[in-house]
Amino acid sequence: MLRSSLRKYWYPSLWLVMSTLISPLAKAVPEFYLELRDHLFYPSEITIPANKKVKLIIHNFDTTPEEFDSFELNREKVIFGNSKAYIFVGPLPPGTYHFFGEYNPNTARGAVIVVPQGDAHAD
Amino acid sequence: MTFRRNLWLWLLVIIAGWQQHARADGVVVDRVYHPYVLPNEREVEWRFLSRQTDEKNTLSQRIAFGHAISEYITVEAYIVGERDQSDDFGLQSYEIESRIMLTDQGQYDADWGILVELERQHERDNWEFTSGLLFEKEFGRTSLTINALLVYEWGVDLESELENEFRLQYRYRFIPEIQPAIELYTGEDFVGMGPAFMGIHRYEKQKQLKWELAFIAGLNGKGKDHSLRFALEYEF
Repeated sequence: MLRSSLRKYWYPSLWLVMSTLISPLAKAVPEFYLELRDHLFYPSEITIPANKKVKLIIHNFDTTPEEFDSFELNREKVIFGNSKAYIFVGPLPPGTYHFFGEYNPNTARGAVIVVPQGDAHAD
Repeated sequence: MTFRRNLWLWLLVIIAGWQQHARADGVVVDRVYHPYVLPNEREVEWRFLSRQTDEKNTLSQRIAFGHAISEYITVEAYIVGERDQSDDFGLQSYEIESRIMLTDQGQYDADWGILVELERQHERDNWEFTSGLLFEKEFGRTSLTINALLVYEWGVDLESELENEFRLQYRYRFIPEIQPAIELYTGEDFVGMGPAFMGIHRYEKQKQLKWELAFIAGLNGKGKDHSLRFALEYEF
């Protein structure tokens, strides 16, 4: 019974996961860079193209960790001190999407500005 | 496009298979798990579930403590209390659970995780092992979350059996404090669906309170079968 269940559910499920993981690897994702210094994001506003998935690479130069948090982007990510983390966002329609650092919400604030393709450039 | 079409087709096949082979004896309505883990996260959780049928009223409560042990793995320990047949509420079981985040959020077409749980009844040598896939996909301001679980039971009072459970939640991310959703549950001869509401309130730094409330009506029986579930989770 266990073997038949594995055949019916687990093998197709694993195939599903693996094919989801492998398929998009070939796609190039544009990269955008942010820095964290003294609990401030630099730049505090970053412009990305609409309707395209992008990779935000955040380098935390502080010694303490920070948590990138944005309800509008539906993303949460911890960036350890003196290290880098990446966050995939999009595809998104044009607009302004705010984010903040959960450990230092009064200082570490910023926004992702999504503009029609062609108007964005890598910072 | 073909790949995406195949992917959704496979998902539907698996879901349909899960439903057709649903079986037997427990409560299916529970939390719908998301496939995400945050490092350094600690939490205490309280879950309440009341199920009313024509024959009985089942009450179950869980208290848990969880801790992320790495960037991708979190472990949670539960104490489960239930009201028994003589209407006494008491300790029912202990459970250890782990969630593993397989993919970073947004990296692929969908986000994936794994759930593993082991539960033992209090003072009875009865066990339950659950494992399954956690799936989440964003559609604009909405998120579809699916849990496809296999449950294996065995013990002195239990006939060894393998069961399937399926949970689905479709959530609208309205504002952090209020996010309405629809939830669907199948498994153990039960098909239920109903509205749910959840939200999050932040205090400071990582301290935040999450809440969930759902009312699930059984759809496959002739009699009454209503479940009310409520959960509070404090993260710090």
